[in-house]
This record gives sequence, C-alpha cells and structure tokens, in this order.
Amino acid sequence: MQFDNPQTVLAKVLKLGSLLIGSIAIIGSAIGFLAAGLPGLLGAVAGSGIALLFVTLTALSVLFGSKLSLGGFYAVVLGGWLLKMILFMFGVALLSRIEGLNGVALFVTLVASILGSLAVDGYVVTTSKIPVVSQ
Amino acid sequence: MDAINITAELTGNLAVIGYGLAAVGPGIGVGLVVSKTIESIARQPELAAKLQVTMWLGIAFTEALALIGLATPFIFA
Repeated sequence: MQFDNPQTVLAKVLKLGSLLIGSIAIIGSAIGFLAAGLPGLLGAVAGSGIALLFVTLTALSVLFGSKLSLGGFYAVVLGGWLLKMILFMFGVALLSRIEGLNGVALFVTLVASILGSLAVDGYVVTTSKIPVVSQ
Repeated sequence: MDAINITAELTGNLAVIGYGLAAVGPGIGVGLVVSKTIESIARQPELAAKLQVTMWLGIAFTEALALIGLATPFIFA
C-alpha cells in the first residue's frame, strides 16, 4: 500500500491551492472588470494575489519546519504566522490607501480564495494516507 | 455620568478596535491548536508527522478568520 508523507501532502496542497486561487483570480477579474471596470479588475487581482501569498506561506512554513527539530518546527511555523499577520495588516493598510482599486472586488476575491483554499486543504488532508508511525 | 462623558470624548479610528479583535480570536485559537499538538506529540512522539499535518489544517482554518477580519476595511471603510 502506498502511503503519503507530510511533504507530498503539503506539496499537493500548494499545487492545487495555487491552481484554484489562479482560477478565482481569472474569474474574479473578469467579473470585476464587467462590474466596475479597471478598478474592479485590479482589485480582484490584488485580492487573489495577497490570498495566494498568505495562504501558501502557512503551508510552506510547515513544509520547511517539518525538516527541523520540534523546537525549530514551532519557531518557523509560529514565527512565520506572526510575521505574516503583521505583514498582512500593513499590506491591507497600504492597499486601502491606493486609489483605483475596487475594495469590494478585492474583499470578495480574497474571501473566495481563502474559503476555496480551505476546501482544498480539507480535501487533500482527508484523502491522503499518512502512516500512523513515522517511517 | 463621568464614564459616559469620558467615552464620548474619545477620538480616533474605530477600525483599530476591529484590528485588535480580529487578532485576538485567532491568536487564542492558534495557541490552543499548537498547545494541544505539543501535548499530543509529548504523549506519542511517533505520531508527530500526522499531528503536524492536522495541526496545519487547524491553523489554516483559524487564520482564515484573521485574514477575513483584517481585510474588512475594504468594504466597511
């Protein structure tokens, strides 16, 4: 029987999640352009872009952290999480000051990308076969 | 009455309180997820690989709330 290891599970999550967020970006920017013109398109692209960056950073931190000792793992994962939240706050503060971005398009694509990537995460983890005992 | 007068004189951006609340909830959530994972790995170290993936799933769900909460200035500003 073929087992997955955590690295292949996370790599699969990164690949499928990026594909999904990429397609949300395309559909969202098309809808944004039709609804609000260029600001809608830019808002949708910015929303899915920051969603891609911040959603994949968590999976990447677990992927790199799992190669370290337990202390190193938590340092990378939790330190990365803290850094990410601070960067996200500054990113939102900066983006909300930029004229020519449609905030509603940005918010909707951001939320759609986050929820979609959660669905991908749940699907991949529930369908993967991680052995109970480490190899 | 004094309390009401003091509250009425407060100035500043109300969104800052929203930022704080959006950080507090997921902060507690991630703390719980991680502390329980550490406890579980201490009990059964051979399960570490499986628990780390499950923990990451827990963190992903918890941080979704933080990301959505912090992005609300785009629609409520």
